[in-house]
Amino acid sequence: MLKIESWDWESKEKMLADTAKWKDKFEDVWEPYISPDGEKIASIVKVGEGEFNIAVNEGTWEEPFEKIWYSRFSPDSRLTALITKDMEWTMAVDGKPWEQMYEYIWDTKFSDDGKVIAATTKLDSVYGITVNEKTLECPVNLESIASYAISSDGKTLAAIAQTLPLGQADLDGFLKGTWSVVVNGKPWKDNFVDIYGLAISNDGKNVAAEYRAAICEYGIVVNGKPWNEKFGCTWEPVFHPNNSNEITTPVRQAGQWFLATNGRIVWDKGFVSLLYQTYSPDGNNIAATVAPQFAKWTVAVNGQPWAATFNECLLQPCFSPDGRKVAVIAKDSGKWLLVVDGTVLGEGYDNIWQPVFSPGGDKVICKVEKNGKYAVAVNGKICGNTYEALWNPVVSPDGTRVMICGVEDGKYYRKVVPLSDI
Amino acid sequence: MYEFVSGPLVWIAFIVFIGGSLYRIYNMLSSSKKEKVVFPHMSLKHSVASLIHWTIPFNNQYMRQRPIFTIISFAFHICLIIAPIFLLAHVILWDESWNMSWLTIPDAVTDGMTIMVIIGCIFFLYRRLTDPVVQNVTDSSDYLLLAITALPFITGFIAYHQLFAYKAILIIHILAGEIMLIAIPFTRLSHMLFFVFTRAYFGSEQGHVKNSKDW
Amino acid sequence: MKPTIVKRDLVVDTALDQCAAKLTPEQIEKVVNEVIDNETGGRLQTYVNTCIHCGLCAEACQWYLSHDKDVSYAPVTKVKDTIWVLLEKKGKVDGAFIKRCSEIAHTECNVCRRCGMYCPFGIDIAYMMLVVRRICAKLEMVPLYLQDTVHSHAATMNQMWVKPDEWIDTLQWQEEEGQGYVPSARLPLEKEGAEIMYSVIGPEPKFLAQLLGNITVIMKVAGLDWTMPATAGWDNSNMAMYSGDFEIMARVERLHHETAQRLKVKKIVMGECGHAFRGAEYDGPTWMGWMKPPIPIVHAISFYYDLIKSGRIKIAKKAEGPITVQDPCNVVRNAGLGTQLRYIMNAVCEEFVDVTPNGRHNYCCNAGGGVINVGPPWKKKRVQGNRVKAEQMKRTGAHTIVTPCHNCHSGIEDIVDYYKLGMHVKFFSDILIEAMEIPEHLKPKEE
Ligand code: SF4
Ligand code: SF4
Ligand code: SF4
Repeated sequence: MLKIESWDWESKEKMLADTAKWKDKFEDVWEPYISPDGEKIASIVKVGEGEFNIAVNEGTWEEPFEKIWYSRFSPDSRLTALITKDMEWTMAVDGKPWEQMYEYIWDTKFSDDGKVIAATTKLDSVYGITVNEKTLECPVNLESIASYAISSDGKTLAAIAQTLPLGQADLDGFLKGTWSVVVNGKPWKDNFVDIYGLAISNDGKNVAAEYRAAICEYGIVVNGKPWNEKFGCTWEPVFHPNNSNEITTPVRQAGQWFLATNGRIVWDKGFVSLLYQTYSPDGNNIAATVAPQFAKWTVAVNGQPWAATFNECLLQPCFSPDGRKVAVIAKDSGKWLLVVDGTVLGEGYDNIWQPVFSPGGDKVICKVEKNGKYAVAVNGKICGNTYEALWNPVVSPDGTRVMICGVEDGKYYRKVVPLSDI
Repeated sequence: MYEFVSGPLVWIAFIVFIGGSLYRIYNMLSSSKKEKVVFPHMSLKHSVASLIHWTIPFNNQYMRQRPIFTIISFAFHICLIIAPIFLLAHVILWDESWNMSWLTIPDAVTDGMTIMVIIGCIFFLYRRLTDPVVQNVTDSSDYLLLAITALPFITGFIAYHQLFAYKAILIIHILAGEIMLIAIPFTRLSHMLFFVFTRAYFGSEQGHVKNSKDW
Repeated sequence: MKPTIVKRDLVVDTALDQCAAKLTPEQIEKVVNEVIDNETGGRLQTYVNTCIHCGLCAEACQWYLSHDKDVSYAPVTKVKDTIWVLLEKKGKVDGAFIKRCSEIAHTECNVCRRCGMYCPFGIDIAYMMLVVRRICAKLEMVPLYLQDTVHSHAATMNQMWVKPDEWIDTLQWQEEEGQGYVPSARLPLEKEGAEIMYSVIGPEPKFLAQLLGNITVIMKVAGLDWTMPATAGWDNSNMAMYSGDFEIMARVERLHHETAQRLKVKKIVMGECGHAFRGAEYDGPTWMGWMKPPIPIVHAISFYYDLIKSGRIKIAKKAEGPITVQDPCNVVRNAGLGTQLRYIMNAVCEEFVDVTPNGRHNYCCNAGGGVINVGPPWKKKRVQGNRVKAEQMKRTGAHTIVTPCHNCHSGIEDIVDYYKLGMHVKFFSDILIEAMEIPEHLKPKEE
């Protein structure tokens, strides 16, 4: 796990970079990213014709590249980006490119501690998942990789991949199955028509996905073995947080959506729509975004929908650490709202980012946008300054402080404020 | 015989007509609920707008494109509804048995209207026989419906002018009217009931949901 | 009722033929009743029971008009020959009948909804054709190329089997192309919190990549904060909506909208496509239980209308000579953008010649509704089925037809070809990119 404790929770305010200066220094400055610990801010910058670099705090990487994109900080605050040199691509970490070059590389992902850096790569027309500069060997040539997932510890990498070539307009070939899941380089025994919604259990032992069995027939497949039950449609499965043998997924039957665990329907009530099922941290409760009626959205906790409904949409619900409260971002009549346990907190915003609960569950903190400015809102009310750019606030492990990182007048600040003050 | 058709049978006809119509409408509404989007897509404003454009002659592009059809079909439908309701002889019957009466239209006018309905029927019959598209979707039921519609008016016309066998024709006339009433809810004559709803739905979908118009 | 006399040239579509041979009556009966019982309701029943067999809808359909009023192409005939029988026989029909259903619903109707506007009752024949398509899709009775396209949607979440790396690579290449016009132009990938997510249809990166270069320039000149996703979810098109595979349709639409939600944008602006707008604005959201898209979607016509009207984009040199337009059904008749379309046409053309009929009364291009996607075997029939469009375009005397819809574009090109009209077919952005003013400071520096 990431060592949040070791971050600087003492310095009240640090001005780490004046990004306004970047605009004078470079031909073009892209949108900034910050490291998880808030200590670094970085932007891809154009330094000349076909020459790019990355500005990090007061400096830049040593070497410019022909192209740079997808700059992302790893959880341990190393800066990665995808770069080209002599028309070939690779990953650069803190300015240092991997030795191996690729035809293409994309979709950087990290293990929770940041030690594992992975990406999808293409080399000599073969696709693969590359982990810390090493492409996982696969006995078959992968025709394509649609997406992949990485376990928390970074030891399990599972990819949705096309393992068989398919001729043009070959309907039979397609329905026989050309897609499979490749786990650490090993494809599952069977192919499927389609694979969606890949999930890896928290312990990294099990891999589940949706699969399509026929034109209108779907199911869940776990470690290559399909559930017996099939459905009219499914959405992505999730694992129980502490029990990697329990998988829950929305399933569609006779025109209604139900929640099913390991193939059995567990909520007796069907919905017009059911999405984003989410376990509480201890795994005892499940919340999901549901529409009991057309265009009436709410959250159902253990199958019981809240009374209040919202007419546009709902994002993914999240539980408080003790699993007693549920917060969700809802959209109603053009405004985004923070809703906790069915009650709207504060006012409507132009945008709201995924909220976090304070450890005691009494405060819900999130980044909000209003009139083009960003701010931190607590229980739906804006606290403190507004920013030109702002990142999701982070609560300290002991629950006493919040780290707020944002840009004001071009200056990048990292602030730590006591939770009690906001 | 006359007593029966002009007494209990009228009762039965009206009960079946009203009850049947209510049943059909109820049934349509409740089975429409099965499709979850139908009612949320409806809007009163756009329903009314659609109805205004399709119940006033020449108030939409297509009607202007087919003037003859528009004139005949409007005249036909207006006369079909107005003439029987405001005919003096009918109102007197209501007055006699229910003590209810309302405005009436001079007999000469209702006579003309009756002729109009008959002309309409002939026109529709002609289209059924000659227009290839219509022919292709016509079956015996379409002729039957046309006959059911025409008969009360033809017999009414004959009875009014007392052309022959007045008593017998009158009985047939009343019977024909009753058959028509009974037929409305249970045959495609129900388009009379559903017109408002299908228009309202399409108008809503075009206007409310799709931000356009349906005329 | 006598059977309709149907005269057609023989078309071989192996998918339909094979499917007809293998379907059993039991399978058919089961699927027909499943769809009728579970997926339709009072609406379908009322349409069927209310239709007074008057034939007034015939005049609406370009297929009927173009075939010298061949009744077998009349909208009401299409219903008679499909859903009436399915209902009456309660699904007890054979494979050959289902094959004919697919031919009618997939290859002879564009679900353009013009006939609905001509029926005195507002009976939505296009809806009924979609019910027929749904039945066909569940029985796998879908023309070969359309089904292949749907498989592409299902496997890759885009229409053209474009792989994830090919997508990003194309964007990066087109960014460079755009920089040829405006050196500082950028195609921002994965920029969370941008105002706009721009989405396109699968054929753009595959065959019409210059359109991505165009938009890079237009966005820069207009000074907008925008982004494009580097993940699946970038394709707003949806042929599954037209084959009748609504689960795949919903999956594609859901991903498109969730990609916009993930990027935290205020709206999605989409390229010039009619059916994609329909899928993203109505059909997809409706299936998902959204009254309207969770992130508002703006069609290119409205987008350009706002840019020109607000003066964010100025016109330096209008396109010369008579230019006409094709009103795409899915954004004009079925989304009300006809007035805005005329505004932008007048803004960029010296001489805009309107078509008759126009606006929401316009004839469909005959390519829409998935009909162009049924592929080469059916092309001749499709093009012959829209003679009225050729005549209509010819009457304008224009040298160029602007088609703010991809399907229209290809469909109209085929018609121009077949009827030897000698006209050019362009997207609106093709004209705009030539006509708009590029401010001095954005122009490439002279060496
Ligand atoms: S092509 Fe258009 S007008 Fe013709 S039947 Fe289909 S929806 Fe109606
Ligand atoms: S116009 Fe309407 S009522 Fe007349 S035949 Fe066509 S669908 Fe039926
Ligand atoms: S392709 Fe164009 S004209 Fe044709 S149906 Fe689509 S929007 Fe209509």
